[in-house]
Amino acid sequence: MRDIDYKDKGGVLNPLKNLSFFGRKAVTVPLEPRPASANYRGFHLNDWETCIGCSTCQKVCDNAAITMVRIPDLPEDPVQGIRNLRPAIDYGRCCWCALCVDLCPTGSISLSREYVHTCLDSELDSYFVLPDAKGIHGTPYPKGWAKSEDADLVALERERMEELEPAERIGHFQEIVAGYDSNQAIIEASRCVQCGMCFDACPTHMNAPEYIRAIWKGDPEQAVREIYRTNPFAHTCGRVCTHRCEDACSVGHRGTPIAIRWLKRYAMDAVDHERVKAIAAEGKARFLSGKRVAVVGAGPAGLTAAFDLIKQGHEVTVLEAQAKAGGMVRYGIPDYRMPPDRIDRDVDVITSLGVKIQYQTRVGKDVTMAELERDYDAVILTIGLWMGRSTRIPGSDSPRVKRAVTLLRDVADQVKVSIPASVIVIGGGNVAMDVARTVARLQKQTFGAVKVTVTALEDLEHFLADPQEIKEAREEGIEILDARGPQEILFKPRKYEVDKVHGLRTWRVLSIFDDQGRFAPRYDEADEQIHEGEMVIEAIGQAAEVDLLGEDLTERLEWMRGRLKVDGQGRTNLPWLWAAGDMVLGPDVVSAVADGHRVAASINTYLSIQEDAA
Amino acid sequence: MIEGAVSSYEKIKAKTSLRDILDVACSFEASARDFYTDLIPKVGKNVRWVVEELAAEEQEHLDLLSGLAGREDIAEQIKAEVRTPATDSRFSDCVHLPDLGPSPDDQAVLQYAMGREQIAMEHYRSLAESTAPGPIHDLFSFLAGEETKHKTELEKVYYEVVHSGGV
Repeated sequence: MRDIDYKDKGGVLNPLKNLSFFGRKAVTVPLEPRPASANYRGFHLNDWETCIGCSTCQKVCDNAAITMVRIPDLPEDPVQGIRNLRPAIDYGRCCWCALCVDLCPTGSISLSREYVHTCLDSELDSYFVLPDAKGIHGTPYPKGWAKSEDADLVALERERMEELEPAERIGHFQEIVAGYDSNQAIIEASRCVQCGMCFDACPTHMNAPEYIRAIWKGDPEQAVREIYRTNPFAHTCGRVCTHRCEDACSVGHRGTPIAIRWLKRYAMDAVDHERVKAIAAEGKARFLSGKRVAVVGAGPAGLTAAFDLIKQGHEVTVLEAQAKAGGMVRYGIPDYRMPPDRIDRDVDVITSLGVKIQYQTRVGKDVTMAELERDYDAVILTIGLWMGRSTRIPGSDSPRVKRAVTLLRDVADQVKVSIPASVIVIGGGNVAMDVARTVARLQKQTFGAVKVTVTALEDLEHFLADPQEIKEAREEGIEILDARGPQEILFKPRKYEVDKVHGLRTWRVLSIFDDQGRFAPRYDEADEQIHEGEMVIEAIGQAAEVDLLGEDLTERLEWMRGRLKVDGQGRTNLPWLWAAGDMVLGPDVVSAVADGHRVAASINTYLSIQEDAA
Repeated sequence: MIEGAVSSYEKIKAKTSLRDILDVACSFEASARDFYTDLIPKVGKNVRWVVEELAAEEQEHLDLLSGLAGREDIAEQIKAEVRTPATDSRFSDCVHLPDLGPSPDDQAVLQYAMGREQIAMEHYRSLAESTAPGPIHDLFSFLAGEETKHKTELEKVYYEVVHSGGV
């Protein structure tokens, strides 16, 4: 700058200097954007293979620059936690803050180092972009700001919950897990990104983001209110729900899913029971419809339907064969997973609304279906799956061979059950694990040692039991042998007595399903084993005890491959009769709750139409 | 084959022409179909689907064998079929052949049906093994393969009915 005399304005011939350019070849200097820095926040990139369409990016964007666009060709599966949505960016709004990157649960979004985009007025729409992995112009640019450990706003690790060690828990039936305290619950709730994948996956569409947010705000009462909007078996589902919400949780793609079930449990335990009852009663009709509904079976489906119907102003009577309510949750799930006092609370909330339960009333014996049809405006069958199936292999008809559901019911009813020092369980599902772990506790109490062997046709990959159940069973000293096909129950002849069970003979199962996923076992007969045990318990499957319907009604009803045929609302072919829960859908508590809501809505409509017609 | 009766085994063993053997095999299938058809009204409506499907399957089997018996090129057809033998999964080996009684449940009916197929399969196999290579040997192998396929299908249904609903 010092070389230029600022006062020098040139001489009078200066304009003529331009003439010196005549005849020279024109030179074009290319104008390229300068390379951006490694962490530059340029246009978005989105790896569609990794993106699950959870919409977290959209929710976190304060400028509302992100719109989720449905792409019909992409897969959508709520159970797997996959939506066919992808984020589109409005660069008229985006401020390149990169919160979408930092909070993306899967890490699919990043920013590139590309930052130039120009267009004509007629192309202004080109600032609204559906980014993919190739970038805004399809030109490969390196990544700029991307997910890093320092900038990741997703907390990947779950807040630990205290639980009893195997040695501490095996000698009794006390609950294994301790539950979160309020600090732990708030920390765990703070991990939630509020994407709502859990809502999609939940059979009863619990609004988990809402109750998790309430917990995070330190307002468990509001959480309970949100929970009761869709689930009156809240204590139960807070402990033994199959938590599909967690399987679909977007945080689970890179870390541990939010402990949604445990958060529900926290909220329910944190709020005084009388307050829970008051919250549950909110919105109850202040009139009586004059309609009467009978519910057969006081399990989750039946009592959920009863809960809804009583709130809608109908009179509801539940007929229960057992001495207590809760169905399979009470009589099939051991106390160390589902403490009975919590079932009592769920039931108490429902009865506090006015639902009447007639205990030890067996339909088909104490009252007939014909009487229910005559005396009530609508009847719901929710009788569960109380009949345990048998393998019917040689020896299985012996009185020394037990069914899992019967044994679990006896234990829950505090009937004295005599358990020998060595037991074999046949089955690979949750019932098999429940009965094996129950027997292990009884053995520990009686003999001071556990000797339970679980054998299942399926290999471990195809076990129906929850992996956590399998893990805990093994921790408790239970031997689990997969891919063993039961062949025969063996007996030791005894003088003057019924033969004593000696063990189970099995063959190795090489493979169990064919290409279509249907049963087609292949055995290795050379791999035969004898498993020693003085009792065999079968836990291979369950069925509904439909004898209570009686021959006439069984004939009038329509059936579908052994199960009652119902429509999408749970209604049978008879206008006064609905069916719901395990007997229709198979076993699952939260699905039973969803089904209870479904039939209640259908019945309420039916009764309203009756009312209008009257 | 009917419930493994020795008389059935001997009856078919005595036949020396392909058509005669197929006719006897057809009569066994017709007998099985009639058995299940008679059983339909005796079981509860919730179980009836099993028996109805079994009757329909036996009818299909009968149609297949009758169609084969009516062809001029039986030997060639059978030769082609036995080149891809069906595999016996042996699942039903250890399931009892139950006494059906007056009102059997779905599991008992399926056990019974699997037992029938098992015995029929074994008898046809035994007949094939005791016959010198040739068209009759091939026919017995074919019939054994058909029974095996049928049994395998029943095993699938059995698993879906029995090993489900609570595990």
